[in-house]
Amino acid sequence: MSVLAEVSGNVTAIGYGLAAIGPGIGVGIIFGQGVQAIARQPEAYGLIRQNMLLGFVLTEALALLGLVAPFIFQAL
Amino acid sequence: MSALTVLADDQFKAPSPDELFTFTPIIPGVDWFTKPVLLALLSSVVVIGFCWAAFANPKVVPRGVQNVAEYGYMFVRDQVARPFLGKDADRWMGLLLTLFFLVFLWNIMGVIPILQFPVASHIAFPAVLAISIYVLKVYLGVKHQGAVGYFKNMMFPPGLPKPIYILLSPIEFLSNMIIAPFTHAVRLFANMFAGHMLLAFFSMVGFWFLFEKLTPLGATVGVIGVVMTIIFTAFEIFIQFLQAFLFAMLASMYIGGALHAEH
Amino acid sequence: MSEQERRPEDDGQDFANAAWSIPSYLLAGMAIYGGGGWLLDRWLDTSAFFPIGVVLGIVLSVYLVYRKYGR
Repeated sequence: MSVLAEVSGNVTAIGYGLAAIGPGIGVGIIFGQGVQAIARQPEAYGLIRQNMLLGFVLTEALALLGLVAPFIFQAL
Repeated sequence: MSALTVLADDQFKAPSPDELFTFTPIIPGVDWFTKPVLLALLSSVVVIGFCWAAFANPKVVPRGVQNVAEYGYMFVRDQVARPFLGKDADRWMGLLLTLFFLVFLWNIMGVIPILQFPVASHIAFPAVLAISIYVLKVYLGVKHQGAVGYFKNMMFPPGLPKPIYILLSPIEFLSNMIIAPFTHAVRLFANMFAGHMLLAFFSMVGFWFLFEKLTPLGATVGVIGVVMTIIFTAFEIFIQFLQAFLFAMLASMYIGGALHAEH
Repeated sequence: MSEQERRPEDDGQDFANAAWSIPSYLLAGMAIYGGGGWLLDRWLDTSAFFPIGVVLGIVLSVYLVYRKYGR
């Protein structure tokens, strides 16, 4: 069988690309829904902001874990 | 990075960062004087000329250039300066307006025909701006909060149990003093770099399959490439504006944070 | 500053501050504790401390952000 297409280079880049999909969608949902919640109920701003930030931290942590995952598996 | 090869009849080679971002000197022998430097100098001249034309003889009823420049001024003042600097906003408008116009011009060079190179996609240019803002931030912080007070406010946020400070203070220090200016520069650089690569890739696809090797099957791919180039050019203009805005906004945020301690 | 005398601009400013500094906090936490773990690994010739350090750094940064902005 002949080679149709080939990708050479560092595979960890693909890994990080895949790892960034989930958190990307997550951060989008968090801020999108958060802005919508604030628009619907401006008086609950403080509470919504708090939870938005917490959700954002936890999601962003996953994205950054994806960034260092290649190094971790290299070290193991 | 370099070898995405589509084995059609002849090989299509995606443009590599090396060939896109290295330039030969314009004047032979003067190594530092390349296209990005020329564009950076050109944008400085344009910004100076633009502001000169607009604000040298301000009229009460603005006309022509002054109208456009005042629109930009209002945008920077209301969206960038006021939310973070409050009553100090007017004192810092000179810096922030220059920063916004300059970065925006650097970025927009990427889609202007013939020039077609976003200056900020060489890390040196955003790095110089970010380092200047960083030095200004530390200077203002030490001046307004005192050397001890500045670092105390930064590294020891109130309201935490005492033993936790040993674990968390290094994080605060590294995040504020090293990571923050680093991401400030890298955010602009990475966006412009990736945007230029994308545009170059899609226009290369269009050029290759429609002009270099025109085949019935390849023509569809080429048309897709051209359409994507047009779509991404529009998208890039938006990104370029957004990144210039964010760069100025983060600068004003850092200055504001140095002037008043976080509470 | 009590909740009553806050102007609405203050809230927006705090929110922007928090949202923009969260990634730097997480990166800094990972860099410090992950880097420490990596150095320990090199010193003791093991391979366990680097992942532990990275996870510890993330946990501590999340805790820091929670205490700073989450209430």
